[in-house]
Amino acid sequence: MSVAAVSLSNVTKRFGEEVTAVDAIDLEIADGEFFSLLGPSGCGKTTTLRMIAGLEFPTEGSIQIFGEEMGIRPPNKRPVNTVFQSYALFPHMTVFRNVAFGLTMTGVEGSERDRRVHEAIDLVQLSGMANRSPKQLSGGQQQRVALARALVNRPKVLLLDEPLGALDLKLRQAMQLELKDIQQEVGITFVYVTHDQQEALTMSDRIGVMSHGRLLQVGSAEEIYESPVSRFVADFIGETNFIEGEILTGGEVRLANGAVVRARTRSGPGSHVTLTLRPEKLNINAPGTTFPDDRCVLQGTVQRRIYYGDALYYEVDIGTVIVDVMVENRPGIIRYAAGDQVVLDFHPEAAEALTE
Amino acid sequence: MSVSEGTAVKGVVDRLLTMNGWLVFLFLYVPILIVILFSFSDHPNVGIWGGFTFDWYERMLGNQQLLRALRNSVIVALISTAVSTVAGTAAAIALERYRRWLGKRPFDALLYLPVIIPDVTMAVMLLIWFAQLEFRLGLTTIILSHIAFNISFVAIVVRARLANMDEALEEAAADLYASRWKTFRLVTLPLIWPGVIGGALLALTLSLDDVVITSLVQGPGATTLPVYVFGLIRRSVTPEINAVSTVMLVASMLLVFVSLAFQRRSEDRV
Amino acid sequence: MTDLAEFEKVEVSPELEQKAERDKARRGLLTALPSYVYLVFFFAIPLVVVFIFSFASRSRTGRPVLEDWNLDSWIGLIDPLFASIAWRSLWLAVVNTVLCLLIGYPFAYWIATRRRPTTRNILLILVLIPFWSNFLVRTYAWRTLLDVDGLVTRLGEATGLWGQLLFTAPAVFIGLLYGYLPFMVLPLYAAIERIEWSLIEAARDLYASGSDAFRKVTLPLSRPGIVAGSILVFIPSLGAYVTPDILGGARTTLLGNYIVTQFGAARNWPFGAAMSSAILIVMLVATIYYFRSGAKTL
Repeated sequence: MSVAAVSLSNVTKRFGEEVTAVDAIDLEIADGEFFSLLGPSGCGKTTTLRMIAGLEFPTEGSIQIFGEEMGIRPPNKRPVNTVFQSYALFPHMTVFRNVAFGLTMTGVEGSERDRRVHEAIDLVQLSGMANRSPKQLSGGQQQRVALARALVNRPKVLLLDEPLGALDLKLRQAMQLELKDIQQEVGITFVYVTHDQQEALTMSDRIGVMSHGRLLQVGSAEEIYESPVSRFVADFIGETNFIEGEILTGGEVRLANGAVVRARTRSGPGSHVTLTLRPEKLNINAPGTTFPDDRCVLQGTVQRRIYYGDALYYEVDIGTVIVDVMVENRPGIIRYAAGDQVVLDFHPEAAEALTE
Repeated sequence: MSVSEGTAVKGVVDRLLTMNGWLVFLFLYVPILIVILFSFSDHPNVGIWGGFTFDWYERMLGNQQLLRALRNSVIVALISTAVSTVAGTAAAIALERYRRWLGKRPFDALLYLPVIIPDVTMAVMLLIWFAQLEFRLGLTTIILSHIAFNISFVAIVVRARLANMDEALEEAAADLYASRWKTFRLVTLPLIWPGVIGGALLALTLSLDDVVITSLVQGPGATTLPVYVFGLIRRSVTPEINAVSTVMLVASMLLVFVSLAFQRRSEDRV
Repeated sequence: MTDLAEFEKVEVSPELEQKAERDKARRGLLTALPSYVYLVFFFAIPLVVVFIFSFASRSRTGRPVLEDWNLDSWIGLIDPLFASIAWRSLWLAVVNTVLCLLIGYPFAYWIATRRRPTTRNILLILVLIPFWSNFLVRTYAWRTLLDVDGLVTRLGEATGLWGQLLFTAPAVFIGLLYGYLPFMVLPLYAAIERIEWSLIEAARDLYASGSDAFRKVTLPLSRPGIVAGSILVFIPSLGAYVTPDILGGARTTLLGNYIVTQFGAARNWPFGAAMSSAILIVMLVATIYYFRSGAKTL
């Protein structure tokens, strides 16, 4: 088994007595992986990244990079480089000197340095801008310089702290794909911090969801989306419905409104659970529709219909709670109006009964 | 966001404000201009115009005491500025870039005191201390005194500049393998340089301007230009003083323009 | 890289993290050390020494004698002569501060509300030029203007409004106002310029009139500038020496001059020390109060 690129063991960061920013994180990031740390602001993901970079030191625990213990090594002695959220380009240096900085510091000089700098600038598609100063560049261009400046040093791991936050939507989406391409071309491990779940889902090989300093779940985009292990993860990623209920037997849940449905359960009978169901997994039908045996059914009344262009959202009152249903806007679909009685159906595999 | 169409001062109020503005400028500049004008007046009485002449300037240039005082002023200013700029910059860095260290709070307070204390009080403090230590009063004590108050001024200016600088830049430098010293030399210093120069120029001006502290700690021997002129004014008022004043005015204006030009150029690069 | 030996094979623990923190703190202290030592030696200690000397006895030459400790000098502060001088100085400082504020605020406001940044910058530079020029020269200018044949005197005589103002109280007022106006204008400008003007727009949107918006929004928001400017004017005015000396002559003795003569002709160092200590105590109390009330910087 190959050594993990980044390995965190019981990593904790406390500020003073009261604030625990990062709480006992265990994580292994594989070589060549695009790994994202995802969570709301204040969840500790940036602090974790900074500890890998050496900009902060953990209070407890061990951080290893390719098996080498980092301890309290300062950042200039670690084989990682960082792309900062504000890019942190040196304003008094040209693009060339910015990108060359790490090489200059490590003694790479002359024609080799020039070659590698131009290589990096070409990689991020900024050829010809070498003599510009950061002030003369757009946000997207500055971002690329920051990337080139980090990659040129051939770090073992590249750390990125919400690098696309300041860009507008279209540019951000384009850059996401570009970053993914570059990562695959260069082949090094990327550790990416973001609060944008869209970003994490589209770019990452694996995602680590964090909240209040704890790592809640680690897995591929599909694992996290389809099988969240907690309410928080289910809620944070995508849209989810939460329906309270109680487990009757393995695989059966009685909901608060009396209906009994089948779902994926993990705990025993009698446990109080929250059923999670994503809006797109529900279908909306007219009353009286019959369903095959493998579907589960809920009755309800439409409260509101919202038109999103590419989809229709229905808010349906099933008795104890209002459930969101998403229907793709295909030609020929029936549009229900507020006040209509409807029947919702879903496949049990799409429903997850969570205890936390 | 600066003043816009919706918030701009309108009509009568604006006209009154503008009038007040110009009156204030008049108030500020007319006395200075009169001094300059009458430095060319061929009449022993400073208030009366007696025809154009350069006599007073010639007299001034022949005044050995004045020239000695000028030389002393320059020496004192240059040395005290150099020392206080280095010390003040270091103090600013220690305060802005290091979160916690022993005695930081008292130091912060101590640094503010020379700025807000009236110079009479500071002059008294230094005189008594020098007397107690049996230091010989002279150029050395003047220089030591000027450094004492200039460190704070330089620190304040540099500190403001440091606070405005993105700390992530220094983190980035470290991330890119720069040692602490290289980070300072290649990233921090170039970026705070306008502040350092600004602080140095402030120190220079304050040193060249100082009357009270210098007059108390200078002792019988050496004297500086402003103290010498102060003595002249008390004894007798002649247009020669106007001539000296004009030269001092032109010199300080040159200093201001040089500093502004320098700062403008540094800003452009940043 | 041999210097990494101490870092390797080490799992972090709270002690190790604290060691890293301590190292950083030590470096901070070392950076500040030269100026720290200098200021302690040439400022903090003299401060204490002055206070101590105020309890000393006075020798024939006026120097302090470090025995026969007494409260004579401090009792001298209750003397009616000192009281009148102190009161006059206080009064002068207060009036000067208020005058600077009354004239300086509209002036600063005027500059801050000019629309183009270039205009504002030019106006600021025009204010800075007198500010940077020598204080002595600026005071001297008024000396010549207010003298017997000075232009201002002649203007006053011609219009019958005033006579020779030199060596009278008004002369000192004029000189102090002239000298310290820029000290008031600059912080005021900085505070007014920083105001988020969209707040004024919001006030207007909520039916405030021009003067309402000014009184309820602009004025309170510019308070830090008012406070800073007032402190920068008040304290030096209190200890003014050059201006009262040149423009007020022997007739107007203020605190600054009175203190300086103790080290000159009056030959009473302990008394001078006591007066200085009194001023220092008042100032320190005021500053502590200012910082406690929430202000972080000047």
